[in-house]
Amino acid sequence: MDPNQMQAPVENYANPKTCLFHVLFKGAALAFYILSALFFNSFVIIFVVTVLLAALDFWVVKNVSGRILVGLRWWNEINDLGESVWKFESLDQDSLARMNKKDSWLFWWTLYLAAAAWFILGVFSLIRFQADFLLVVGVCLSLNAANIIGFTKCKKDAKKQFQQFATQTIASRFQSTVQSAFTLV
Amino acid sequence: MSHNDTIPLYQSSQSDIDEIENMMNNNSFQSGPGTVLPAQPPSPIRPSIPVSSSPFVQSNLAPIPPSSAQKVTPVPMPPPLPPSGNSSSSEGSKTIGGSGFGSPPNTLTEPVWDTVKRDLSRIVSNLKLVVFPNPNREDPGKALRDWDLWGPFFFIVFLGLTLSWSASVKKSEVFAVAFALLAAGAVILTLNVLLLGGHIIFFQSLSLLGYCLFPLDVGAVICMLKDNVILKMIVVCVTLAWSSWAAYPFMSAAVNPRRKALALYPVFLMYVSVGFLIIAID
Repeated sequence: MDPNQMQAPVENYANPKTCLFHVLFKGAALAFYILSALFFNSFVIIFVVTVLLAALDFWVVKNVSGRILVGLRWWNEINDLGESVWKFESLDQDSLARMNKKDSWLFWWTLYLAAAAWFILGVFSLIRFQADFLLVVGVCLSLNAANIIGFTKCKKDAKKQFQQFATQTIASRFQSTVQSAFTLV
Repeated sequence: MSHNDTIPLYQSSQSDIDEIENMMNNNSFQSGPGTVLPAQPPSPIRPSIPVSSSPFVQSNLAPIPPSSAQKVTPVPMPPPLPPSGNSSSSEGSKTIGGSGFGSPPNTLTEPVWDTVKRDLSRIVSNLKLVVFPNPNREDPGKALRDWDLWGPFFFIVFLGLTLSWSASVKKSEVFAVAFALLAAGAVILTLNVLLLGGHIIFFQSLSLLGYCLFPLDVGAVICMLKDNVILKMIVVCVTLAWSSWAAYPFMSAAVNPRRKALALYPVFLMYVSVGFLIIAID
Protein backbone atom coordinates (compact mmCIF):
# COMPACT_ATOMS: atom_id res chain seq x y z
CA MET A 1 0.00 0.00 0.00
CA ASP A 2 2.83 2.25 0.75
CA PRO A 3 4.28 3.22 -2.60
CA ASN A 4 7.40 4.66 -1.09
CA GLN A 5 8.91 1.47 0.15
CA MET A 6 11.63 1.37 -2.44
CA GLN A 7 12.56 5.01 -2.38
CA ALA A 8 15.05 6.95 -0.32
CA PRO A 9 13.97 7.59 3.28
CA VAL A 10 13.63 11.36 2.82
CA GLU A 11 10.77 10.91 0.39
CA ASN A 12 8.84 8.83 2.86
CA TYR A 13 8.09 11.78 5.06
CA ALA A 14 4.82 13.33 4.12
CA ASN A 15 5.52 16.61 5.86
CA PRO A 16 9.26 17.16 5.88
CA LYS A 17 9.09 20.80 6.91
CA THR A 18 6.94 20.06 9.91
CA CYS A 19 9.18 17.20 10.92
CA LEU A 20 12.12 19.52 10.67
CA PHE A 21 10.55 22.11 12.95
CA HIS A 22 9.44 19.41 15.34
CA VAL A 23 13.02 18.34 15.81
CA LEU A 24 14.64 21.74 15.36
CA PHE A 25 13.65 23.47 18.57
CA LYS A 26 14.14 20.40 20.72
CA GLY A 27 17.60 19.87 19.32
CA ALA A 28 18.44 23.57 19.57
CA ALA A 29 17.46 23.70 23.23
CA LEU A 30 19.48 20.61 24.09
CA ALA A 31 22.47 21.71 22.02
CA PHE A 32 22.46 25.21 23.41
CA TYR A 33 22.26 23.95 26.94
CA ILE A 34 25.10 21.50 26.49
CA LEU A 35 27.39 23.71 24.46
CA SER A 36 26.73 27.04 26.12
CA ALA A 37 28.95 26.22 29.04
CA LEU A 38 31.85 26.49 26.64
CA PHE A 39 31.00 29.96 25.43
CA PHE A 40 28.94 31.86 27.95
CA ASN A 41 29.77 32.64 31.51
CA SER A 42 26.41 34.12 32.22
CA PHE A 43 23.80 31.82 33.65
CA VAL A 44 21.07 34.28 32.76
CA ILE A 45 21.64 33.96 29.03
CA ILE A 46 21.80 30.20 29.20
CA PHE A 47 18.60 30.06 31.22
CA VAL A 48 16.59 32.47 29.14
CA VAL A 49 17.61 31.10 25.75
CA THR A 50 17.20 27.45 26.73
CA VAL A 51 13.82 27.98 28.34
CA LEU A 52 12.70 30.12 25.45
CA LEU A 53 13.65 27.42 22.95
CA ALA A 54 11.95 24.79 25.08
CA ALA A 55 8.80 26.88 25.28
CA LEU A 56 8.81 27.42 21.51
CA ASP A 57 9.25 23.70 21.03
CA PHE A 58 6.32 23.03 23.34
CA TRP A 59 4.12 25.37 21.36
CA VAL A 60 5.20 23.95 18.01
CA VAL A 61 4.63 20.36 19.08
CA LYS A 62 1.29 21.06 20.68
CA ASN A 63 -0.19 23.26 17.98
CA VAL A 64 1.51 22.35 14.75
CA SER A 65 3.29 19.03 14.57
CA GLY A 66 0.76 17.22 16.73
CA ARG A 67 -1.97 18.17 14.30
CA ILE A 68 -0.02 17.49 11.17
CA LEU A 69 2.09 14.48 11.99
CA VAL A 70 -0.25 12.40 14.10
CA GLY A 71 -3.62 14.10 13.85
CA LEU A 72 -4.07 14.64 17.56
CA ARG A 73 -4.70 17.63 19.71
CA TRP A 74 -5.29 18.29 23.37
CA TRP A 75 -6.12 21.31 25.47
CA ASN A 76 -7.67 22.39 28.69
CA GLU A 77 -10.79 24.38 29.24
CA ILE A 78 -12.81 25.76 32.04
CA ASN A 79 -16.45 24.93 31.71
CA ASP A 80 -19.42 26.86 33.01
CA LEU A 81 -19.29 25.21 36.39
CA GLY A 82 -15.80 26.48 36.84
CA GLU A 83 -14.26 23.06 36.51
CA SER A 84 -11.22 22.30 34.51
CA VAL A 85 -11.85 19.94 31.64
CA TRP A 86 -9.23 18.31 29.46
CA LYS A 87 -10.33 18.03 25.91
CA PHE A 88 -8.92 15.70 23.33
CA GLU A 89 -9.48 15.58 19.65
CA SER A 90 -8.42 13.37 16.87
CA LEU A 91 -9.09 12.89 13.23
CA ASP A 92 -11.54 10.23 12.23
CA GLN A 93 -10.28 6.74 11.80
CA ASP A 94 -9.81 6.81 8.03
CA SER A 95 -7.53 9.79 8.16
CA LEU A 96 -5.68 8.39 11.12
CA ALA A 97 -5.03 5.17 9.26
CA ARG A 98 -3.75 7.11 6.31
CA MET A 99 -1.25 9.11 8.36
CA ASN A 100 2.28 8.64 7.27
CA LYS A 101 3.91 6.01 9.42
CA LYS A 102 7.32 7.60 9.27
CA ASP A 103 5.94 10.92 10.41
CA SER A 104 4.31 9.49 13.48
CA TRP A 105 7.35 7.34 14.24
CA LEU A 106 9.51 10.45 14.20
CA PHE A 107 7.03 12.38 16.28
CA TRP A 108 6.77 9.91 19.13
CA TRP A 109 10.40 8.87 19.22
CA THR A 110 11.84 12.38 19.29
CA LEU A 111 9.39 13.24 22.03
CA TYR A 112 10.59 10.35 24.17
CA LEU A 113 14.26 10.81 23.35
CA ALA A 114 14.22 14.52 24.20
CA ALA A 115 12.60 13.81 27.57
CA ALA A 116 15.16 11.10 28.28
CA ALA A 117 18.00 13.43 27.34
CA TRP A 118 16.75 16.16 29.67
CA PHE A 119 16.37 13.62 32.44
CA ILE A 120 19.98 12.51 32.04
CA LEU A 121 21.17 16.11 32.01
CA GLY A 122 19.17 16.66 35.17
CA VAL A 123 20.89 13.76 36.85
CA PHE A 124 24.24 15.25 35.89
CA SER A 125 23.45 18.62 37.34
CA LEU A 126 22.13 16.94 40.47
CA ILE A 127 25.37 15.06 40.89
CA ARG A 128 27.31 18.28 40.51
CA PHE A 129 25.05 20.10 42.96
CA GLN A 130 24.26 22.84 40.49
CA ALA A 131 20.87 24.04 41.59
CA ASP A 132 20.74 26.73 38.91
CA PHE A 133 21.05 24.33 36.06
CA LEU A 134 18.72 21.93 37.76
CA LEU A 135 16.11 24.67 37.52
CA VAL A 136 16.61 24.95 33.77
CA VAL A 137 16.49 21.21 33.28
CA GLY A 138 13.42 21.00 35.49
CA VAL A 139 11.52 23.52 33.41
CA CYS A 140 12.44 21.89 30.10
CA LEU A 141 11.68 18.43 31.39
CA SER A 142 8.26 19.46 32.61
CA LEU A 143 7.42 21.05 29.27
CA ASN A 144 8.36 17.86 27.46
CA ALA A 145 6.51 15.72 29.97
CA ALA A 146 3.38 17.81 29.55
CA ASN A 147 3.38 17.20 25.83
CA ILE A 148 4.05 13.49 26.17
CA ILE A 149 1.28 13.01 28.69
CA GLY A 150 -1.15 15.15 26.72
CA PHE A 151 -0.62 13.34 23.47
CA THR A 152 -0.59 9.89 25.00
CA LYS A 153 -3.91 10.58 26.69
CA CYS A 154 -5.23 11.93 23.43
CA LYS A 155 -4.22 8.81 21.54
CA LYS A 156 -5.84 6.54 24.11
CA ASP A 157 -8.95 8.63 23.99
CA ALA A 158 -9.05 8.39 20.21
CA LYS A 159 -8.82 4.61 20.38
CA LYS A 160 -11.57 4.48 22.96
CA GLN A 161 -13.80 6.70 20.85
CA PHE A 162 -13.25 4.51 17.83
CA GLN A 163 -14.12 1.37 19.75
CA GLN A 164 -17.25 2.94 21.11
CA PHE A 165 -18.41 4.00 17.70
CA ALA A 166 -17.53 0.67 16.21
CA THR A 167 -19.67 -1.12 18.77
CA GLN A 168 -22.44 1.39 18.29
CA THR A 169 -22.37 0.97 14.55
CA ILE A 170 -22.34 -2.78 14.79
CA ALA A 171 -25.14 -2.75 17.31
CA SER A 172 -27.33 -0.47 15.24
CA ARG A 173 -26.67 -2.41 12.05
CA PHE A 174 -27.50 -5.63 13.83
CA GLN A 175 -30.66 -4.11 15.12
CA SER A 176 -31.76 -2.92 11.68
CA THR A 177 -30.95 -6.30 10.17
CA VAL A 178 -33.04 -8.07 12.77
CA GLN A 179 -35.88 -5.65 12.20
CA SER A 180 -35.83 -6.12 8.47
CA ALA A 181 -35.67 -9.88 8.95
CA PHE A 182 -38.80 -9.76 11.07
CA THR A 183 -40.67 -7.55 8.65
CA LEU A 184 -39.90 -9.89 5.81
CA VAL A 185 -41.16 -12.78 7.82
CA MET B 1 -29.40 19.14 9.29
CA SER B 2 -26.97 21.89 9.92
CA HIS B 3 -28.09 24.96 11.67
CA ASN B 4 -25.79 27.85 11.43
CA ASP B 5 -24.91 30.40 13.94
CA THR B 6 -22.66 32.47 11.85
CA ILE B 7 -20.46 34.84 13.61
CA PRO B 8 -17.42 34.66 11.43
CA LEU B 9 -14.26 35.15 13.33
CA TYR B 10 -12.01 36.68 10.78
CA GLN B 11 -12.45 37.75 7.26
CA SER B 12 -9.87 35.34 6.08
CA SER B 13 -11.56 32.38 7.65
CA GLN B 14 -14.77 32.81 5.70
CA SER B 15 -13.45 30.54 3.00
CA ASP B 16 -12.52 28.06 5.68
CA ILE B 17 -16.07 28.20 6.91
CA ASP B 18 -17.39 27.57 3.43
CA GLU B 19 -15.11 24.62 3.01
CA ILE B 20 -16.19 23.20 6.33
CA GLU B 21 -19.80 23.55 5.20
CA ASN B 22 -19.11 21.85 1.91
CA MET B 23 -17.30 19.02 3.56
CA MET B 24 -20.11 18.45 5.97
CA ASN B 25 -22.79 18.62 3.37
CA ASN B 26 -20.95 16.21 1.14
CA ASN B 27 -20.27 13.68 3.82
CA SER B 28 -22.99 11.18 4.17
CA PHE B 29 -24.23 11.11 7.70
CA GLN B 30 -24.69 7.60 8.71
CA SER B 31 -25.14 6.59 12.25
CA GLY B 32 -21.44 6.13 12.57
CA PRO B 33 -19.87 9.45 13.14
CA GLY B 34 -16.59 8.23 11.82
CA THR B 35 -16.93 11.25 9.59
CA VAL B 36 -15.46 14.40 10.71
CA LEU B 37 -15.33 16.92 12.99
CA PRO B 38 -14.23 18.24 16.18
CA ALA B 39 -15.66 18.71 19.58
CA GLN B 40 -17.46 21.81 20.60
CA PRO B 41 -16.11 23.52 23.62
CA PRO B 42 -19.21 24.43 25.57
CA SER B 43 -17.93 27.73 26.79
CA PRO B 44 -20.21 30.69 26.32
CA ILE B 45 -17.41 33.07 25.60
CA ARG B 46 -16.16 31.39 22.48
CA PRO B 47 -17.04 33.01 19.21
CA SER B 48 -18.89 30.62 17.03
CA ILE B 49 -18.60 29.51 13.47
CA PRO B 50 -21.25 27.78 11.44
CA VAL B 51 -21.36 24.17 12.20
CA SER B 52 -23.76 21.35 12.51
CA SER B 53 -24.25 19.71 15.81
CA SER B 54 -24.93 16.09 15.11
CA PRO B 55 -21.88 14.33 13.81
CA PHE B 56 -19.37 15.75 16.17
CA VAL B 57 -17.11 13.57 18.12
CA GLN B 58 -17.25 15.01 21.56
CA SER B 59 -14.47 13.62 23.54
CA ASN B 60 -14.68 14.69 27.12
CA LEU B 61 -12.76 12.98 29.78
CA ALA B 62 -13.94 13.34 33.33
CA PRO B 63 -12.60 16.53 34.83
CA ILE B 64 -9.26 15.83 36.33
CA PRO B 65 -8.96 17.50 39.74
CA PRO B 66 -6.41 20.26 39.53
CA SER B 67 -4.13 18.81 42.12
CA SER B 68 -3.42 15.83 39.98
CA ALA B 69 -2.83 17.80 36.87
CA GLN B 70 0.75 18.28 35.96
CA LYS B 71 2.32 20.70 38.34
CA VAL B 72 4.50 22.66 36.08
CA THR B 73 5.81 26.13 36.56
CA PRO B 74 5.44 27.90 34.30
CA VAL B 75 3.92 25.83 31.61
CA PRO B 76 2.93 27.82 28.61
CA MET B 77 -0.16 26.00 27.47
CA PRO B 78 -2.24 28.30 25.30
CA PRO B 79 -5.39 26.51 24.30
CA PRO B 80 -5.48 27.05 20.60
CA LEU B 81 -8.77 28.83 20.55
CA PRO B 82 -9.68 32.30 19.53
CA PRO B 83 -9.54 34.90 22.24
CA SER B 84 -12.56 35.40 24.35
CA GLY B 85 -13.76 38.86 24.19
CA ASN B 86 -16.86 40.76 23.51
CA SER B 87 -18.32 38.47 20.95
CA SER B 88 -21.27 36.64 22.32
CA SER B 89 -22.04 33.19 21.20
CA SER B 90 -24.71 30.70 21.88
CA GLU B 91 -24.28 27.46 23.71
CA GLY B 92 -24.49 24.28 21.81
CA SER B 93 -22.97 24.04 18.44
CA LYS B 94 -19.76 25.83 18.18
CA THR B 95 -16.52 24.78 16.82
CA ILE B 96 -13.02 25.83 17.15
CA GLY B 97 -11.96 28.66 14.94
CA GLY B 98 -9.65 28.56 12.01
CA SER B 99 -7.20 26.23 13.60
CA GLY B 100 -9.76 23.58 14.52
CA PHE B 101 -9.79 20.11 13.18
CA GLY B 102 -12.92 20.81 11.26
CA SER B 103 -11.30 20.64 7.89
CA PRO B 104 -7.78 19.40 8.17
CA PRO B 105 -6.61 20.53 4.75
CA ASN B 106 -7.53 24.13 5.52
CA THR B 107 -6.39 24.37 9.08
CA LEU B 108 -3.20 22.54 8.40
CA THR B 109 -2.29 25.04 5.77
CA GLU B 110 -3.22 27.82 8.10
CA PRO B 111 -0.18 29.99 8.30
CA VAL B 112 1.62 29.76 11.59
CA TRP B 113 1.33 33.52 11.85
CA ASP B 114 -2.40 33.22 12.33
CA THR B 115 -1.98 30.95 15.30
CA VAL B 116 0.71 33.21 16.71
CA LYS B 117 -1.44 36.28 16.24
CA ARG B 118 -4.35 34.58 17.92
CA ASP B 119 -2.27 33.61 20.91
CA LEU B 120 -0.82 37.09 21.15
CA SER B 121 -4.23 38.68 21.10
CA ARG B 122 -5.32 36.27 23.79
CA ILE B 123 -2.46 37.42 25.95
CA VAL B 124 -3.41 41.05 25.41
CA SER B 125 -7.06 40.43 26.21
CA ASN B 126 -6.23 38.48 29.35
CA LEU B 127 -3.95 41.26 30.44
CA LYS B 128 -6.65 43.84 29.93
CA LEU B 129 -9.15 41.75 31.85
CA VAL B 130 -6.95 41.23 34.83
CA VAL B 131 -4.97 44.37 35.27
CA PHE B 132 -7.14 47.16 33.98
CA PRO B 133 -10.53 48.21 35.27
CA ASN B 134 -13.32 46.68 33.29
CA PRO B 135 -16.84 45.44 33.99
CA ASN B 136 -15.88 41.78 33.87
CA ARG B 137 -13.89 42.06 37.04
CA GLU B 138 -17.06 41.75 39.04
CA ASP B 139 -17.41 38.18 37.90
CA PRO B 140 -14.03 36.66 38.47
CA GLY B 141 -15.05 33.25 37.30
CA LYS B 142 -15.65 34.47 33.81
CA ALA B 143 -12.78 36.83 33.55
CA LEU B 144 -9.85 34.48 33.17
CA ARG B 145 -11.78 31.70 31.49
CA ASP B 146 -9.26 31.56 28.69
CA TRP B 147 -6.23 31.27 30.87
CA ASP B 148 -2.89 30.90 29.27
CA LEU B 149 0.55 30.77 30.72
CA TRP B 150 2.48 32.54 27.99
CA GLY B 151 1.74 35.98 29.46
CA PRO B 152 2.92 35.08 32.95
CA PHE B 153 5.98 33.42 31.46
CA PHE B 154 6.96 36.56 29.59
CA PHE B 155 6.30 38.79 32.59
CA ILE B 156 8.31 36.68 35.00
CA VAL B 157 11.25 36.41 32.63
CA PHE B 158 11.05 40.12 31.88
CA LEU B 159 11.04 41.02 35.56
CA GLY B 160 13.99 38.73 36.19
CA LEU B 161 15.89 40.26 33.30
CA THR B 162 15.14 43.81 34.42
CA LEU B 163 16.26 43.09 37.95
CA SER B 164 19.33 41.33 36.67
CA TRP B 165 20.17 44.22 34.39
CA SER B 166 19.85 46.74 37.21
CA ALA B 167 22.09 44.75 39.48
CA SER B 168 25.72 45.70 39.34
CA VAL B 169 27.00 42.51 40.87
CA LYS B 170 25.79 38.91 41.03
CA LYS B 171 23.55 39.28 38.03
CA SER B 172 22.98 35.58 37.60
CA GLU B 173 21.97 35.04 41.19
CA VAL B 174 19.52 37.91 41.02
CA PHE B 175 17.85 36.47 37.98
CA ALA B 176 17.71 32.97 39.36
CA VAL B 177 16.35 34.17 42.68
CA ALA B 178 13.73 36.37 41.07
CA PHE B 179 12.55 33.63 38.73
CA ALA B 180 12.49 30.92 41.37
CA LEU B 181 10.77 33.21 43.88
CA LEU B 182 8.03 34.16 41.48
CA ALA B 183 7.45 30.73 40.06
CA ALA B 184 7.54 28.88 43.36
CA GLY B 185 5.59 31.69 44.97
CA ALA B 186 2.78 31.40 42.46
CA VAL B 187 2.55 27.64 42.97
CA ILE B 188 2.58 27.93 46.73
CA LEU B 189 -0.02 30.70 46.75
CA THR B 190 -2.30 28.56 44.63
CA LEU B 191 -1.83 25.62 46.93
CA ASN B 192 -2.60 27.92 49.83
CA VAL B 193 -5.94 28.83 48.33
CA LEU B 194 -6.73 25.21 47.53
CA LEU B 195 -5.85 24.08 51.03
CA LEU B 196 -8.02 26.79 52.54
CA GLY B 197 -10.91 25.05 50.87
CA GLY B 198 -11.16 27.51 48.07
CA HIS B 199 -12.43 26.83 44.58
CA ILE B 200 -9.92 27.79 42.06
CA ILE B 201 -8.37 26.06 39.12
CA PHE B 202 -4.66 25.52 39.54
CA PHE B 203 -3.52 26.85 36.17
CA GLN B 204 -6.06 29.65 36.18
CA SER B 205 -4.64 30.91 39.43
CA LEU B 206 -1.04 30.60 38.20
CA SER B 207 -2.06 32.55 35.16
CA LEU B 208 -3.74 35.23 37.26
CA LEU B 209 -0.82 35.72 39.60
CA GLY B 210 1.50 35.98 36.63
CA TYR B 211 -0.60 38.59 34.91
CA CYS B 212 -0.79 40.65 38.09
CA LEU B 213 2.97 41.01 37.88
CA PHE B 214 2.57 43.40 34.99
CA PRO B 215 2.45 46.56 37.15
CA LEU B 216 5.57 45.45 39.00
CA ASP B 217 7.25 44.95 35.65
CA VAL B 218 6.46 48.53 34.73
CA GLY B 219 7.74 49.67 38.12
CA ALA B 220 10.96 47.73 37.69
CA VAL B 221 11.59 49.31 34.29
CA ILE B 222 11.06 52.80 35.69
CA CYS B 223 13.36 52.06 38.60
CA MET B 224 15.97 50.75 36.24
CA LEU B 225 15.92 53.94 34.23
CA LYS B 226 15.97 56.37 37.14
CA ASP B 227 18.13 55.65 40.13
CA ASN B 228 16.60 58.01 42.69
CA VAL B 229 15.70 56.25 45.93
CA ILE B 230 12.67 58.39 46.72
CA LEU B 231 11.33 57.93 43.23
CA LYS B 232 11.86 54.21 43.49
CA MET B 233 9.94 53.99 46.72
CA ILE B 234 7.02 55.95 45.34
CA VAL B 235 6.91 53.98 42.12
CA VAL B 236 7.14 50.67 43.92
CA CYS B 237 4.37 51.62 46.33
CA VAL B 238 2.09 52.66 43.51
CA THR B 239 2.71 49.56 41.41
CA LEU B 240 2.44 47.33 44.44
CA ALA B 241 -0.97 48.76 45.24
CA TRP B 242 -1.99 48.29 41.61
CA SER B 243 -0.89 44.65 41.59
CA SER B 244 -2.70 43.88 44.80
CA TRP B 245 -5.82 45.60 43.56
CA ALA B 246 -5.65 43.52 40.41
CA ALA B 247 -5.34 40.25 42.27
CA TYR B 248 -7.89 41.02 44.96
CA PRO B 249 -11.25 40.12 43.36
CA PHE B 250 -10.11 36.83 41.95
CA MET B 251 -8.48 35.57 45.08
CA SER B 252 -11.16 36.76 47.42
CA ALA B 253 -13.93 35.27 45.33
CA ALA B 254 -12.28 31.90 45.45
CA VAL B 255 -12.37 31.36 49.20
CA ASN B 256 -14.81 31.39 52.07
CA PRO B 257 -15.37 35.04 53.13
CA ARG B 258 -14.06 34.39 56.61
CA ARG B 259 -10.77 33.23 55.16
CA LYS B 260 -10.29 36.01 52.70
CA ALA B 261 -7.48 37.60 54.62
CA LEU B 262 -5.69 34.28 54.94
CA ALA B 263 -5.71 33.90 51.19
CA LEU B 264 -4.88 37.50 50.33
CA TYR B 265 -2.13 38.22 52.84
CA PRO B 266 0.45 35.84 51.30
CA VAL B 267 -0.21 37.32 47.85
CA PHE B 268 0.41 40.78 49.22
CA LEU B 269 3.50 39.52 50.99
CA MET B 270 4.94 38.10 47.81
CA TYR B 271 4.41 41.29 45.90
CA VAL B 272 5.94 43.28 48.76
CA SER B 273 9.02 41.10 48.66
CA VAL B 274 9.32 41.63 44.92
CA GLY B 275 8.94 45.36 45.58
CA PHE B 276 11.77 45.22 48.06
CA LEU B 277 13.90 43.43 45.51
CA ILE B 278 13.23 46.22 43.07
CA ILE B 279 14.08 48.95 45.55
CA ALA B 280 17.13 47.24 46.92
CA ILE B 281 18.77 46.56 43.59
CA ASP B 282 21.40 49.14 42.76
